[in-house]
Amino acid sequence: MNSEKLNLLWLHGLTCCGNTQSFLCAEEPLLSSFLRKVNLIYHPAISEEEELEVKVRAILNGDIKLDVLVLEGAVPKGESDKTYKLDGMSLSELVLKLSSLADYTVALGNCAVYGNIPALKEKNVSGLQYRFKEKGGILGKDFRSKSGMPVINISGCPAHPEWFIGVILSIASGKRILLDSYGRPKEFYAYYTHDGCMRNQYYEWKVEAESMGTKEGCLFYNFGCRGPMTKSSCNRILWNGVSSKTRSGQPCFGCTEFDFPRANLWETKYNMGIPAELPEGVSLRGYIMVSGIAKTFAPDRLKRRLIDEGE
Amino acid sequence: MKVSKKLLTRLEGEAELKLFWQGEKIKDAYISVPNYRGFERILVGKPVMDALVINPRICGICGHAHLRATVEAIEDSLKRAGYEVTITEKARLFRDITLSLEIIQNHLRWFYLYLMPDVVKLKPSLRERFAPLKGSGWQEGVRASNYATKALATLAGQWPHSSYMVPGGVTCDPTEADINKVEALVERVVDFFEEKLAGIEIQSYMSMSGAKLIREVKGDILSFFEACFEHGLDSVGRSYGRFLTGGTIDPCVVPGTKSKRICKFHPERVYELGNYSFFSKNGRGYTWAKAARYGGVPCETGPLARQLIAKNPRVVSLYKKYGDSVLVRVFARLDEILTLSLSVLDKLRSVDLSQRSCIAPPKEVKSVSGEGIGVVEAARGTLIHKISVSRGKIKFYDVITPTVWNLGPRDDVYLGVAEKAMIGLDSELKAYTVLRSFDVCSVCTSH
Repeated sequence: MNSEKLNLLWLHGLTCCGNTQSFLCAEEPLLSSFLRKVNLIYHPAISEEEELEVKVRAILNGDIKLDVLVLEGAVPKGESDKTYKLDGMSLSELVLKLSSLADYTVALGNCAVYGNIPALKEKNVSGLQYRFKEKGGILGKDFRSKSGMPVINISGCPAHPEWFIGVILSIASGKRILLDSYGRPKEFYAYYTHDGCMRNQYYEWKVEAESMGTKEGCLFYNFGCRGPMTKSSCNRILWNGVSSKTRSGQPCFGCTEFDFPRANLWETKYNMGIPAELPEGVSLRGYIMVSGIAKTFAPDRLKRRLIDEGE
Repeated sequence: MKVSKKLLTRLEGEAELKLFWQGEKIKDAYISVPNYRGFERILVGKPVMDALVINPRICGICGHAHLRATVEAIEDSLKRAGYEVTITEKARLFRDITLSLEIIQNHLRWFYLYLMPDVVKLKPSLRERFAPLKGSGWQEGVRASNYATKALATLAGQWPHSSYMVPGGVTCDPTEADINKVEALVERVVDFFEEKLAGIEIQSYMSMSGAKLIREVKGDILSFFEACFEHGLDSVGRSYGRFLTGGTIDPCVVPGTKSKRICKFHPERVYELGNYSFFSKNGRGYTWAKAARYGGVPCETGPLARQLIAKNPRVVSLYKKYGDSVLVRVFARLDEILTLSLSVLDKLRSVDLSQRSCIAPPKEVKSVSGEGIGVVEAARGTLIHKISVSRGKIKFYDVITPTVWNLGPRDDVYLGVAEKAMIGLDSELKAYTVLRSFDVCSVCTSH
């Protein structure tokens, strides 16, 4: 039975462990399905096995076949790496060795994908195959795992458990995984946060949210929402099975993208009355024409409260 | 002298424990936290509102407490600059409810995922229920924790890493149906406590204390108690017996300090010492944590401190008999699952949805200069954020986490709280269990 399971080893770099906690929030029966199909050789927080050294030696000796290596957290390179030593290996050395043996290498969460917060003030800290926008990272831009795939990047701060488990289950059943230009599975990152947002009508008719704390109004115009520029399935596969940032009145902060966290996360920048950044692929001329017409003809019902005492 | 060293896993992050032995007993213990990210440096120069998004990322399991501390520090800075922020009762209740839910999920995951697998090593007959991944307790514990995370996300959008608290209130605008859903989920947590943890009816559980409670409680709490009595965990793990709670979660948590008696908490008496951390380059540093002190002395913070200071009769009665042992420290944490859940249910019933969720502060946050402090209770105890802002930009930020109190290093006079609790023990496994009883979170400790 065990031999049919995927052997998966999960390492922590510089991390808040939020992707582990997010993983544990997976909706049933996904978590059970994952545990049935995966042999968790080692995980720093949840596996029975506590001795990482023992498992790493067995993998390096060829006694255990490593199917999937998962990294959560950013990695410091060379000299700056004081995280921990394992049999004399630093984390970056360990990652290099294990990723050369694993069939698949998965970067889970924005720290492992792009470096994210731990890399902001540390030049030597990066993600597995990226440092922010720049390709390279710890493994180098040309890295391919034994399966021929580059690092599978499951970005997000944190990543949604269903995106991660979805990828692992696809690997388990030998399905093809299509990646976008940032190495992210298209199945989850072809969408924008905007897709499925409950405020889409307000966006279409350019009805802005006047204040925070209401169901009504779009957050793109005043409150810095990056929904139309951010690739994620946040409003398609809901968080904790129930909600999302925009559904609870928060703007999307773009936490699946390389430039998270940007500055001024709660406000929209304007140039001469037009948002400085437009939804991806939309021309300035097109935006001005469409939004001008939309605003002029916006239906009154969108300017009232959605649920009130009236009829 | 024999020295043993172990990288401890199955906790939030990783921590290294170095033990010095004299004969069969532990003579000295060093807790070292290896990973440092540097949030306080990263925040300098950032727009103040961005801290609401960055700070939850300090910790994957208590990020919501960091959000609450951040928003309160910002609101305090506005108030001190002369722009008092008004918050509706509804927004205040939501903030308390979601913070309580985060603490509840933490306590459930900690007990089943982090603590009990070590207790199983002391008492192998508990294996079937408490083994990692496979044990029924492990699986049920995760499921129960997700009643809490789902309830939290219904209001806050997601967990981990929501930023739904903003100066002036909260961003969410839920409907009555949402509130009903949250209530139903929290009721499931109470059911889980009754059926699995206490194994007896809630009313009867709540009416008992002391020896009667020990005698009559069943379920997983009983399994834990039995392991404690068999292996002496009712007498080990004791530290200074000085406790501190800075935050408030009405009505179950009130601020105060306690040694022989309960006194008022004065935030200005809190400071950090760095002479045994890597920040001081004197060669004595052994961890990325600093040592937090209150009026010069170390204090324990967390559920045990909270429940003693709030005079929870069950915790007070057990403390009288067993002191700040592993047994009582763990029990206080488990009992909090129930008291917090019941108070969340009360709060849900009193929420008035016709009130506003958010009232914009009287002056735009990005134009204000000033200093503020936010003191809140996180799962592991008192969390303090201090901010200094110059025209909307962060000049200085200081985070004192609960684990800095409990797991921080020594100073020239005192050992750290958890370090002290391990002195004199006769086995490594007991030392690990004592350390775990404080609920180790290394990512918060170093941040």
